[in-house]
Amino acid sequence: MFEKILIANRGEIAVRIIKVCKEMGIKSVAIYSEADKDALHTKMADEAICIGPAPSGDSYLNMENIISAAVGTGAQAIHPGFGFLSENSLFAEKCKVCNITFIGPTPEVICKMGNKVEARNMMRNAGVPIISGSRTPVFDVCEAKKVALELGFPIMIKAAAGGGGKGMRISNTEDDFNENFVTAQMEANSSFRDGTMYLERYIEAPNHIEFQILADKYGNVIQLGERDCSIQRHHQKIIEEAPSPKLSVKLRKEMGNIAIKVAKIVNYEGAGTVEFLLDKFGKYYFIEMNTRIQVEHGITEMISNVDIVKEQIKIAAGYSLEFKQENILLQGHAIECRINAENPKMGFVPCPGKINNVYFPSGNGVRIDTALFNGCSVSPFYDSMLAKIIVYDSERKKAIRKMKNVLEKIKIDGIITNLEFQNAILNHRDFEEGNFTTDFIVDKFS
Amino acid sequence: MNDKDNRTDRNKENIPAVPPGMWIKCTKCGKLIYRKELEKNKFICMKCGKYFRMPSENRILDIIDEGSFVELFTDVLDKNPIDFPGYSEKKEIIKKETNLEEAVITGKASIGHIEVMLGVCDTRYLMGSMGYIVGEKITKLFENATKAQLPVIMINCSGGARMQEGIISLMQMAKTVDSVKQHSDAGLLYISVLTDPTTGGVAASFAMLGDVILAEPNSLIGFAGPRVIEQTTKQKLPVGFQTSEFLYEHGFLDMIVIRRELKERIYEILKAHQKPKVIERKRKTISVCTFCDYKDSWKKVQLSRKIDRPTTVDYITHVFERFIEFHGDGETGEDQAIIGGIAFLDNIPVTVIGHQKGKTTEERIIRNFGMAHPEGYRKAIRLMKEAEKFRRPIITFIDTPGAACGVEAEKRGEASAIAKCIYEMFNLKVPILSILIGEGGSGGALGLAVANEVWAMENSTYSILSPEGFASILWKNEKRAKEAANLMKMTAKDLLDLGVIEKILPEGNGASEFKVITDFLQVQILDFIYNMSLKNEDEIVASRETRFRSF
Repeated sequence: MFEKILIANRGEIAVRIIKVCKEMGIKSVAIYSEADKDALHTKMADEAICIGPAPSGDSYLNMENIISAAVGTGAQAIHPGFGFLSENSLFAEKCKVCNITFIGPTPEVICKMGNKVEARNMMRNAGVPIISGSRTPVFDVCEAKKVALELGFPIMIKAAAGGGGKGMRISNTEDDFNENFVTAQMEANSSFRDGTMYLERYIEAPNHIEFQILADKYGNVIQLGERDCSIQRHHQKIIEEAPSPKLSVKLRKEMGNIAIKVAKIVNYEGAGTVEFLLDKFGKYYFIEMNTRIQVEHGITEMISNVDIVKEQIKIAAGYSLEFKQENILLQGHAIECRINAENPKMGFVPCPGKINNVYFPSGNGVRIDTALFNGCSVSPFYDSMLAKIIVYDSERKKAIRKMKNVLEKIKIDGIITNLEFQNAILNHRDFEEGNFTTDFIVDKFS
Repeated sequence: MNDKDNRTDRNKENIPAVPPGMWIKCTKCGKLIYRKELEKNKFICMKCGKYFRMPSENRILDIIDEGSFVELFTDVLDKNPIDFPGYSEKKEIIKKETNLEEAVITGKASIGHIEVMLGVCDTRYLMGSMGYIVGEKITKLFENATKAQLPVIMINCSGGARMQEGIISLMQMAKTVDSVKQHSDAGLLYISVLTDPTTGGVAASFAMLGDVILAEPNSLIGFAGPRVIEQTTKQKLPVGFQTSEFLYEHGFLDMIVIRRELKERIYEILKAHQKPKVIERKRKTISVCTFCDYKDSWKKVQLSRKIDRPTTVDYITHVFERFIEFHGDGETGEDQAIIGGIAFLDNIPVTVIGHQKGKTTEERIIRNFGMAHPEGYRKAIRLMKEAEKFRRPIITFIDTPGAACGVEAEKRGEASAIAKCIYEMFNLKVPILSILIGEGGSGGALGLAVANEVWAMENSTYSILSPEGFASILWKNEKRAKEAANLMKMTAKDLLDLGVIEKILPEGNGASEFKVITDFLQVQILDFIYNMSLKNEDEIVASRETRFRSF
């Protein structure tokens, strides 16, 4: 086992990883930017190294400084958390070159799964269901229309170099295809100087379902059930729950097996998440695999009783998985609400600032993952997530009721948060009845 | 004891450490760069954009079609011509360290499916210096290119002639230049790319003799190295001295090309120098806009000077398909009042040269309002001769109040430059067409208008002098310009009557009909090129001489 681990992250996830290190008797090294001098993770770790100024490009993304910190402190492994460098294959490669274990999959796997087009093709060839789309890029509107007619409408037009919704259009019928394609391509040309386009069947009002995977270096792969992350705003998850109210026992088993298959195809190792879209007819499609710990891993830990971060570290250190699939017993229902420093009344603008007073209730089946403390500051330089409120109960209805009670008692004094917005969602009838898709927020709250 | 040692070694292997050579420190921004990433990024610092010197193998891969390179002339035998002590041993060490046989790699490759002979120097081998082997390989490269009728591309970087081979190194300069000359005499293209550093005997021989000379930004280029100059002259050298930009400003570079675009630029230039296809007559019908005639000559003068009149650049972009601009006169400077380069008309490459007045105030100042200095005319001659070498027709656009008037212009020989331009234009064996598009002011205009045919846009003028100057010389009163204009016979209609031009082209309603005008012009120019393609070289020269003999 490692003697010392460097945590290349900040905020609640860094705190969470440091806590695990302490539980496992491993020394921890925190890194921090000048803005995080007084942050909780900086104070909590056995050692803390400043790796640069506040902007993350100079600090939490500064590979040279982070690796120097690891070499300098003699940390044998780096846990990247999520975000920042967690899915950067180059960083994983650099760690490897310097004899530092990157807690996550190999650089090759990160790279393969990071290339969405390649990953899709690989999965299609292996017989994993994916959303049908153009196999090769399309450039010309006439050629594109032919492909579109073969695929069937509605259709999603996407720029190959795309991101942030730019160069993306939905065409509902044959009639509006040309116009949408041309506009999307023009946008792609002006935004990315690349007019390479892809077409994909557009799945209307799906649910976002993801499966948690654990795989060791010896080919053992298990899954810890699914999470339903359909409550999203602009592709940002707001509420997640496990299990999903939409899956039957049979479908859960089937999708779980596919998730294991996906991990095996790429010789995955570590913790990972296989993401699917589930349409209203119960058909599911692989979309991508995240090669890191997820923000919402906590709800899976609640229903599976497996500490995923701990497992990550053990796998990276070369341990084989202690349990087989049949040992995994998923019980009860867990929900997570992300509390962010943002103003729902002002278009969800981030609201950083100083927190005068903070109070989180506790109790049976209540877990708070946070890095807040009285008098701390929420920096404008980083993500606005303040805390993850996780509740667990024997069934969904009880869990929702528990969450409402917990949210009511939370006090975060000094800045504006989305607590009220979270409450509104929880109180919405459709949510209570488990009757929602990824369109929920757009349909009901705008 | 032994056991303990082994354990320490094993431990050592597991200790986190940065292996040597993994990071490189950028000499400009001081940041650390991951070597592999630098390689992927074409040896450009990801943080500050500094260009690192590129190893020859990467350079080759960067500019050629994948898998097309065949190395040639590896059999040149090693020599130590002046028995320099320690030389052979030093070469052995470098060979081991760099895996390079010598300071240049030569071979055959294709770029965008165009076959070329390619030479790439490498600074890792004795600073890319030229001794016998380098000279011999480059000579063979040009000789073989001449035989095979192929273009040559040299990616140059070198400290100069190699000290360790003494006078024999110096002789390589002459030997290589002669092979370049023979290649050029055979009408073949040589593109020289200057990278950091290109100095000494390499700069002073084959490197500076390209038909087209490109350079990477901020490269050190010169004859004597800056340290030598400083020590000899005891002077502190100015910032930016001997950089690519310095050379560009002084007229020695056609273009500064960023590394990412190098392959694309080389390909474009190769394409522009391919033998033109057989020219076919294309009969396009085109709707022509109507003439709007004014009787008043002064009105025409005003129209020809109008600030929003289309400039040479407007005509180039609308009449032609692509335009590759070349810069510099190869002697003293770069003059932005005259622009020139190669453009395509129905896929036929033509050389286009013209006065450029500019659109905005800033641009007009940079372009000196289309009033060219001597280096502008020298650039024009250079580009026209290049056109002749590659058998391209020449189209010139005339739009100038007159040649630059000032101390600097006189110092550098304005009169001589214009005279030589007129002289050389009579010599050219390719057809020339000149089009008056605005003001045709005096010798500055004629300097680009010794053509087989001269055409005029309907609102352009062409005259011995501006009406203001005319009035001032003849009547000592500049204010009588209006009166002068009416007497000078300077409008298109007058010029046609006097036989000074062959054709008047309509302008219609100006900007709103510009597309119609340029489409029409395109057809007319293609017709001209077709008609001239029926003549042989002597007939082309003779027809130009006869035309001007008649005045």
